[in-house]
Amino acid sequence: MSEQPPIPRPEQRPLPPAPGAGQRRIVLPPHRQRARRPRSVRVREWVRKNLFPSTGGTLLTLIAAAIMGAIVVGVVIFIFFGANWQVITHNRWLLFAGGFPHEEAWRLWVSIAVVFALIGAAYGTWSSFGRRDHLFVLLVGGFVIFLMAHGGAAIWSTLYFLIAIGCMYLGYAATVWMPRETSTLRTFQVRLVGGLLAISLPLVLIILLVGGEVGPRHLDGFVLNLILAPVGIVGGVVLGIPLALGRASRLRSISLTCTAYIEIVRGAPLLGWLFVALFILDDVIGGDLIIRAMVVMAVFTGAYMAEYIRGALQALPRGQFEAAQAVGLTEMQRTRLIIMPQALRISIPPMVGQAISIWKDTTLVTVILPLRELKGNADSAIAQFEFTPDRIEAYVFVAVIFWIVAFAMSRISQRVERAQGVGER
Amino acid sequence: MSAQAPAPPSPSAGGPPPSDAVPLFYRRGFRRLLQQGIYVAITALVAWYVYDSLDLREFGFGFLDDPAAFKVGNQWLTDIDGVTNNRITMYLVGVWASLRVVFVAILLSTLVGVLVGVSRLSSNWLVARLAMLYVEIFRNTPLLVQVVLVYAIFLVGAPIIQEVVNIGDFAFISNRGLAIPWPVPNDGLWGLPDWFVGVWVALLIAIGAVAMTVRRTRQNRERETGQPQFANRWAFGIFAVGALVTFIILGLPVSIDRPYIEGTRYLEGMVIRPEFAALTIGLTLYTGAFNAEIVRGSIQALPTGQTEAANAIGLSGYQRLTLVILPQALRQMIPSITNQYLNVNKNSSLAYAVLYDDLFRVAGIIQNKAGHALEMFFVIIVTYMLISLVISAVMNLINSRVTRVGV
Repeated sequence: MSEQPPIPRPEQRPLPPAPGAGQRRIVLPPHRQRARRPRSVRVREWVRKNLFPSTGGTLLTLIAAAIMGAIVVGVVIFIFFGANWQVITHNRWLLFAGGFPHEEAWRLWVSIAVVFALIGAAYGTWSSFGRRDHLFVLLVGGFVIFLMAHGGAAIWSTLYFLIAIGCMYLGYAATVWMPRETSTLRTFQVRLVGGLLAISLPLVLIILLVGGEVGPRHLDGFVLNLILAPVGIVGGVVLGIPLALGRASRLRSISLTCTAYIEIVRGAPLLGWLFVALFILDDVIGGDLIIRAMVVMAVFTGAYMAEYIRGALQALPRGQFEAAQAVGLTEMQRTRLIIMPQALRISIPPMVGQAISIWKDTTLVTVILPLRELKGNADSAIAQFEFTPDRIEAYVFVAVIFWIVAFAMSRISQRVERAQGVGER
Repeated sequence: MSAQAPAPPSPSAGGPPPSDAVPLFYRRGFRRLLQQGIYVAITALVAWYVYDSLDLREFGFGFLDDPAAFKVGNQWLTDIDGVTNNRITMYLVGVWASLRVVFVAILLSTLVGVLVGVSRLSSNWLVARLAMLYVEIFRNTPLLVQVVLVYAIFLVGAPIIQEVVNIGDFAFISNRGLAIPWPVPNDGLWGLPDWFVGVWVALLIAIGAVAMTVRRTRQNRERETGQPQFANRWAFGIFAVGALVTFIILGLPVSIDRPYIEGTRYLEGMVIRPEFAALTIGLTLYTGAFNAEIVRGSIQALPTGQTEAANAIGLSGYQRLTLVILPQALRQMIPSITNQYLNVNKNSSLAYAVLYDDLFRVAGIIQNKAGHALEMFFVIIVTYMLISLVISAVMNLINSRVTRVGV
């Protein structure tokens, strides 16, 4: 059968297109082109087709509109009239950094600025800011500044935050003009930014914790979430790669132990492993409870990451292994140069899903450990006498904060996928 | 460490090369032995270190037989007192509580997932947007926050029991939970003992089997002759009539208990406690969002020809969905949905956050009272793995049924 160009069909139009995905426009030959009808006609037609196609459809639209209207009205009334947001504005520092000493706050701001600058540089290197990205930054920045302007304005913090956002655009501006095509300069740029990204987590930990009066136990509030999640994700990938290779290994002893590790870790919920961190790991590795929680996060994530990477290894065509063997690469070279780059590329989408899941799961350390991350400090905030009735506000705020970061992660991952050409050859 | 690799290249036709041609250190067999030896040695060293650092002097499961001495709330169908019973019994009560949550959450989240997943593909712009909003909100916020938020809404929003919302003396809503009427076995007209209701249930199952057989034979006949045989109507009719007749013959062995309030307590009826509701609703909404994405993905993965063919033979939108699209999408979605069900099982441990006495929380209480953290962790992980195994087994069964028909 001959390949026929896809015909645009009315049923397919309303599928929510992947955000940012360019829709292919079909150019008709001149004799089939029609004059574009006036906008009002097009709008009316769109409304009829998508909202009032039939009696049933109209009914559905009305029901959906009623639900949506109720939600919007309810949310607006709650946000602007019903809720008492003082529980948030009075406890800003508690929610943000909790027990982190005030006089060491510069460490937090410097880390944020560094991370923002790196994000900007990464965008400038592999992607570019679109209108939606600017809008997202604007909205989040506005939200944060609004938060800091209320109930005892925090002018310095606002300024630091603005500087951090400025750093992001600086990093972006410093990299975005570089050439995109392969060249010595491009290679250098990619290596530089990639290397900086790779050491960003240790760098941030050094900025936060080395010298001065701060230790791991001062990591608190939202800062704890922001530290735990990357540690879990990076540690998980670092553990997951050898585990996946080990599980796929021909050597029985290696594949058996790796399989056992993966299946046992995946058998119990994260809360169970945090239980282990609290009561059992004390004897094994000791150290601060936060360190133990980090270890557990990494160990737990590692098992899941290993499964995704293994799936990618299995999805690789056999020809890749055979070709690598044919050109005489050793096993080590084959894994490092041929197999892993492809496998990691394929496994980006599920690994990002796992990363978002770990980001959300950082809340679990509050449940059984005496650690206070954002949700835990929200609990402390509503434990204050004057704020006891404001539970809902506090939790809604926590949910919004987590949503913002998770949403940003999923958007960045879409960029990474496109930059790496996932799903393409 | 070596990646999965194709079989080693077969030696040349002359048989394996003479072994003395290659020094021992470079022989493949020796290399593998060496690698494994090093690996096993390191693993054993780590294992020994862990074993050595654990405090195992009092290791043993005997403490589970001691009296529990704590109360386990949120019991349903059971009323087991923690003072007289031992710890393992109370732990099993917790397991039963977990199973209830997992079961209800799996059912509801599947329902939500299919509904929202299909809505996301709706040609109605508003419906699709609404579904997308739901998915984006609930997928990107922590389950813990959702659960405590629902719980907070119950606690703050629902009235105290003195100001209970009375729905026609039939159901009650307060911050103690929702009380609804519930069927209970009773003596019936002939004064039969309570357990006699079991006979009725057994009869119902038998009648159901008969109805299913009739349905199948009628379906087969319809397929052979082309004459409509009303298989579903027949099956339903047989079941309804059979159930009613046996119900009357056995002397009405089941009655509906209406709840009422005495002091500050609900009595009789079925009480859905806020803890249970918060956990189940949280799990349902969270997992429902993921299920919706799975449903959407597997529908979109179908070739467009399926929709077109269904349109071409004149099926309505509903028929197209239930007869053509969903049955095929089911094959693709079952593995991912199974994963979500396993997650529901593990996520049910969040009961800890709303003080719902599930297996994890009961285990935590036992550990709090008796120590023995390592043993308790063994018990927890084995229980979760067993439940996971059951879920996987059931889903594999469904999967084999769904994929039996070749495309």
